Amino acid sequence: MTEKIWEEKGLVVRHNFLELLEHWAIALSGFVLIITGLFQMPLANRYYISSLPGLAWSGDFIISLNVHYAASAIFVAAAFFHVIYHGILGERGMLPQKGDLKTSITVVKSFFGKGEEPPFHKYLPEQRLAYIGMIFIIAMLIISGLVKTYKNIYAPDLSEGIVFLATWVHITFFILFVLAFIGHMAAIILKPNRPMVRAIFTGSVRLDYARHRHPLWVAELEGGRKIPATVEPAVEEISEETVEAETVKTSTEPEMLLQKKADLQEADESEDLYAETQEEDVGGTDKTSD
Amino acid sequence: MKKELLPKISRRSFLKTSAGITAASGLTVLPMAKKAHGATSGGLATLIDLSLCDGCVDWEMPACVSSCKTINKDVIPEPVNPIPQPWPRKTIEDWSKKKDVFNRLTPYNYLYVQKADVETEDGKRTVFIPRRCMHCDNPACATICPFSANHKMKNGAVVIDYDLCFGGAKCRTVCPWAIPQRQSGVGVYLQVLPDFMGNGVMYKCDLCHERLAEGKLPGCVEACPRKALLIGPHREIFALAEERAKQMNGYIYGKTENGGTSTLYVSPVSFDLINKALIKKPGEPDMKPDVQRRMVKTDGPGRIVLASPILGAAAGLIGAFKWFSRGKGGTKGGEKDND
Ligand code: SF4
Ligand code: SF4
Ligand code: SF4
Repeated sequence: MTEKIWEEKGLVVRHNFLELLEHWAIALSGFVLIITGLFQMPLANRYYISSLPGLAWSGDFIISLNVHYAASAIFVAAAFFHVIYHGILGERGMLPQKGDLKTSITVVKSFFGKGEEPPFHKYLPEQRLAYIGMIFIIAMLIISGLVKTYKNIYAPDLSEGIVFLATWVHITFFILFVLAFIGHMAAIILKPNRPMVRAIFTGSVRLDYARHRHPLWVAELEGGRKIPATVEPAVEEISEETVEAETVKTSTEPEMLLQKKADLQEADESEDLYAETQEEDVGGTDKTSD
Repeated sequence: MKKELLPKISRRSFLKTSAGITAASGLTVLPMAKKAHGATSGGLATLIDLSLCDGCVDWEMPACVSSCKTINKDVIPEPVNPIPQPWPRKTIEDWSKKKDVFNRLTPYNYLYVQKADVETEDGKRTVFIPRRCMHCDNPACATICPFSANHKMKNGAVVIDYDLCFGGAKCRTVCPWAIPQRQSGVGVYLQVLPDFMGNGVMYKCDLCHERLAEGKLPGCVEACPRKALLIGPHREIFALAEERAKQMNGYIYGKTENGGTSTLYVSPVSFDLINKALIKKPGEPDMKPDVQRRMVKTDGPGRIVLASPILGAAAGLIGAFKWFSRGKGGTKGGEKDND
């Protein structure tokens, strides 16, 4: 929503500071949740993890539960913030669109050298699909986790059926969450996607990359911001971020319009929501700028 | 396992003190209890009167223990042979060759009678203490179970589902009295990855909840010849415990311990002294007064988690509001005019 072409630096701003913050709040707390979730199993003592230096706490269910709770508070608050804030702003760029499924198959094929990938908008169609999938997984984890937390504190004698369901939903979606995380990591390892990785650290991608791979997006940014009948026209905002001084908001609606015109249905989605990563990956990715 | 002998004496005076209550604590109270809901106030509670229990010293095995053993004798299937060796920590707990042990808690023995030689001001005094799961009000053993195999029922009973338990023994770790006991080589873990996950099944007293559902008394309560064990609606049992403690100028254990339990011990000797006379060993719990509910430390963080949806949503609302007001109030008039 703060997209802007930055000619002098050869960059396109893709995410603003707030979006990066949301992404990393979810990613890092999610990572802690996976680890401390495993410690509830209970495997820390059995596998001598609690014997490792600095990890003695992993075998203490009270401490590891508290770490799990602390990470949950960040995770849940960030997820609610994300949905409410961007929902009210009417940002729909990450939601799947008609034809995404078909287009994403074309794209995946192109990763394996079969055919050309179509020109993209800001997000790849599979990013949009992954986003909605991740939203679903996270929603189930949050709902079941809240039920379990409530039970722990206030209602140990909650109906056995509800507790049982919450527990197994939590376990099932925990597994899906881990798989989705692995898939997310795999996606950024794919060569064509690598230039996008820097965006989740710095907020921007290289302009030449964007022109080449996201021509629909660049065209829209260059074509000015025509705002169709949304609640509110896009408004300018100065982001406080250190790297990108200021950025411009556009609404996602024009993306859709343009796309229809272009007769293309792929848009893409970078979900900021669901990455969990280690910093190293990106360092080397591209040093064109900054 | 038989209790063919009658207990030597029945000190009628004692029975009389507990008077009508003893009668009321019989089957008659059960229908009320069955209607009741809610763990603490509506469920069941038990009273163990240490002034009445004489440890069944003349019996081969205390009547309550014997009854419990008989009722539960077929609960555990025959463990597989050999029992798979867990990896990497190689702990195996196998009681299948020692099923008859009744002087401690084991997977085959959910109730045992502790003997404490207490030094009181008036000299030495021997106290017999039937020990089993306390059926706590907010049992960490149940809430912390990763598979929800252990659950607190509406009637107050804390019950392990032996078909679902993986035997990780988390419940024993968080129980202040380390009540649940493990039998390796049985249970659902054998069907999954026995070498890497799980290690058997945890067993403990289930308050005879199946018998309760049939309108029967728990085996131990029914069997005690001295009516030292009573069961009834939570409120009544608590009132009765207070009354008896007052009468004997005695003490209560289980009311505040571990955050409150559904088992109240009443004793003429202080539990501090009793605890000093006991040595905590595996399967032999102590009686530390006011032992804390360890999960209490997680309640605060848990409440923050419960509040976090509201905090996140509020931040989202405020953020969105600011975004709009900044756009409207901004001097630039919206960037659609400039590019
Ligand atoms: S006494 Fe121990 S096993 Fe029994 S309910 Fe309380 S915490 Fe659980
Ligand atoms: S209530 Fe039942 S299972 Fe529990 S100690 Fe008594 S007889 Fe045994
Ligand atoms: S509780 Fe009753 S049956 Fe059990 S040892 Fe005491 S007197 Fe005997």
